[in-house]
Amino acid sequence: MQGKNKLFIAVALSASCLMSGAANAAAADKSLAIPGWQHAVKDGMDTPTIDPMLLYSSGGVDGKMAIIGLPSFKTYRHIDCGVDTHEISFGGSNKGNKNGTPDGKYVYLNDKGANTICEFDIQTGYLARVIALPFPFGVHHIALSTDGKSLFGTGEYSGKMAKVDIKTGKTEVIDWGPAPSAPDYIDASRDGKYVFAGNYYHSTVGVFSTSPFKLIKEIPVGKNPHGTDVIPESTLVLVSDKLSATMTIIDTKTLAVKKVLPTCAGPLHSVMDVYNKAGGSYRAGIDSPEGLTSKYAYESCFVADANVKISLSKLEVVDEIPTHYRTGHISISADNSYVMALNKFSTGLFSPTGIVFPVNFEMWDAREKSPTYGKTLRIMPVDGEPHNAKSLMSYLVKDWTKGEAEQGGLITGRTDLLDPPHRAFSKRYFIPKETTPPGVKLVDGVKEIHMKAFSYGYIPRQVRVNKGDKVRLFATNIDKASGITKNPDVTMGLTIYGPYGQRSNMDLPRGVTAVHEFTADIAGEYEIFCTHFCGPLHLEMRAAFFVDDPKKGPSNLAVGDYEHAQTLPGLLEEGQLTVAERVKGL
Amino acid sequence: MKNAKLKIGLIAIASLGMMWGGATAFAAGEKRCTAGGQKVECPTITEKEAEAASAAFLKEGHDMEEGKGGSTYGIAPFDYLTGVGKRGAEAAKGAKAGTYKGESGYGSNAKASLKTELWDRVKAPKSDGVKDKSVYDQWSGNWSPTFGATLVAGADPTQGKNYYYSYCIACHGWLMHGDGPSASELNPRPRTLTRGDYMQKKTNLELFTVIKGGGEAVSLSSSMPNWGNVLQDQDIWNIVAFIRAMQDVPPPKSVAEYLNPKSTFKPIPGDVDALTASTNKDFQEAQEMIESDMTGRAPGSELVGGGFVEGGNRKKPSEVAVKVAK
Repeated sequence: MQGKNKLFIAVALSASCLMSGAANAAAADKSLAIPGWQHAVKDGMDTPTIDPMLLYSSGGVDGKMAIIGLPSFKTYRHIDCGVDTHEISFGGSNKGNKNGTPDGKYVYLNDKGANTICEFDIQTGYLARVIALPFPFGVHHIALSTDGKSLFGTGEYSGKMAKVDIKTGKTEVIDWGPAPSAPDYIDASRDGKYVFAGNYYHSTVGVFSTSPFKLIKEIPVGKNPHGTDVIPESTLVLVSDKLSATMTIIDTKTLAVKKVLPTCAGPLHSVMDVYNKAGGSYRAGIDSPEGLTSKYAYESCFVADANVKISLSKLEVVDEIPTHYRTGHISISADNSYVMALNKFSTGLFSPTGIVFPVNFEMWDAREKSPTYGKTLRIMPVDGEPHNAKSLMSYLVKDWTKGEAEQGGLITGRTDLLDPPHRAFSKRYFIPKETTPPGVKLVDGVKEIHMKAFSYGYIPRQVRVNKGDKVRLFATNIDKASGITKNPDVTMGLTIYGPYGQRSNMDLPRGVTAVHEFTADIAGEYEIFCTHFCGPLHLEMRAAFFVDDPKKGPSNLAVGDYEHAQTLPGLLEEGQLTVAERVKGL
Repeated sequence: MKNAKLKIGLIAIASLGMMWGGATAFAAGEKRCTAGGQKVECPTITEKEAEAASAAFLKEGHDMEEGKGGSTYGIAPFDYLTGVGKRGAEAAKGAKAGTYKGESGYGSNAKASLKTELWDRVKAPKSDGVKDKSVYDQWSGNWSPTFGATLVAGADPTQGKNYYYSYCIACHGWLMHGDGPSASELNPRPRTLTRGDYMQKKTNLELFTVIKGGGEAVSLSSSMPNWGNVLQDQDIWNIVAFIRAMQDVPPPKSVAEYLNPKSTFKPIPGDVDALTASTNKDFQEAQEMIESDMTGRAPGSELVGGGFVEGGNRKKPSEVAVKVAK
């Protein structure tokens, strides 16, 4: 099957070397011929071992953050965070492009599965702290404030929005009704005034003032918007209208739609390049973070298998780059040279390593004067199901490896190096694909829940059990292809967010049934969501797990053991965990 | 070139027709469904048809993985009418038709235009989207029917179609025949929503309730999930209007026919519709029951359901401009 693969990726450096090496060997002596794939590339032709830039990648369903070299595409390390990680945000300021203006101290990563924010120390390379957000919430994405002191978060699974004080964890939560409401992607203006968030059930972008933190207005956009990205100048918000194949451009001065641009099928996210006042690429820590500008935005197109390039002066599409395949998130290197398509499908591309097929990162050359402009330079299978990646210049991470820490400055007190266990308190296994009808039944004192996952939803959509029930959750992917995009290698996921995140977090490859067993000991309404990007409506693939406490009555967003859930019982100790105190008027 | 394009489209549509088998061949099963108060055979595809559809989807998947097959997405009208399948200039001339190499901008086909997107191939929208928001529907309007009239007052079938293609096709199939990729996995099978002999007897209230509350809300299959925590009421009304607009629509023989379906549905006297829903007692009672334990609601907060938010070209029933068909 793999041998018939007709796809040739333009790998700029190595392909021609491999071929000429093989030809020379064959001419010298056939008996000594070395298979082409055993040839190393010539000296000086390989990638550098020292990478000028690093890519911090949210690993999604593997619950880790990966650090990847740019441009080598070598993975340096994985750092544990939790269950299902989503958005990366460097500490410092949100000025500049989506990479921000990092100060090199911390990087934040929100965990959608556990409802937490992980704080990593960039200099030690370890997880330093976990901020546990209040329930019910369901944090989809985070965005750093302009002053670097707060993180704004979207509560996708509750229709809420949050403002979190990073230092203390104090958190203000506000409702964004009516239901159904799903705030997902978020960005903050660079002047500190507004937060913009897409809501895929409302098909609007909500505009929030940052202080006081409240909804000012909803701007109708295209169908089921996703990416909501502010450009470095802070004058425009680029909204990816997922089901309308358009980009809605919002003017931040008038808070109204300025233009709607047809871009591509299934647009999901945008990134922009960023330049300093002198017109060069912005250099964090060297250049002033004020007055940064941008020339182009790059938008990922899931259905179209492409990235489009948009001129921000003309507000029109100027180029289109094919990608392989189904780009979800999109990332740009800190020096504007490379765009990384975070592709959600690798149909037919790589060697299988199990029943879950890898997703990939594809780096294409964005330098207009380069001979390889627009070509794929590298394509790499990656762990987990990365959700987003941000890049910084490597010089921001000091070399502490040869005793420099003795000089002081690395740490100033107790520094926890956390390795939070995930998938705790549950037993997990696969069985042959079952055909039991969907629903809940009691078998030998155990609540057996039989769920089917399809593009895009779960059956049953709502499950109710009682507090204290032993639960055996059977989940089966009944897809033969991923919805309208038809990729056959579709893996589904099933995670119950929050206190059950660690216990569920199921992978649902085709052909088998996943089973998890755990005790439902914390009451509340906890949303079930898909953790593998299965298609354009992956986000809408949701269900709900209600754990009812007979003493309190049926659970809902107002009734549940939410304070207890927030302490992530049994996982972390005091000091390692900042339990975000809920406040009014942060 | 125009003829060559049309030919590809016709072949593609013909192959889609083969996938669901004979449109009129339905199984003679037990009468366990109810329509108009009578017990009737359930309108679903037969076991054999389900197996054939399943095999066709599996083959498509393998073809896709191996880089062959005429349709990148397996959904022929979608690929053909959008150009999303990245057909290069050579494919338009008919050369190497049937393979990715010739048909697409992928791979080593140096002559491929690498034009990957529909907006290069179809007319660009006239609207800049600021006042006239029709640009939001133009993409889907390029590859699927746009309806000038509605059979459900206050609901727009064109808007409903967009959500049908997103949420419903996995089970109910591209043309509502109950033969989507997941249909063969479900028992009982998803309904064939075009069957006039059945659907004409189903009231709007029944259709709305089964979509919003799921099969269990009307004592039907638990395999039909509830969509009330995904879609607003107006979205559901629009889907009902789309279903009504497709009653007894046969497999299309041409692109033109695919884009201009003719429905046989006649509005049922006294039935509720989107315009009268807010004052219809039966409708209100049914929806209150469904809403009572739905997700995403927080009593006493702003997170209650049943509201309306303008967005994505969603209009209030009174503002839906599409006229009621006579």
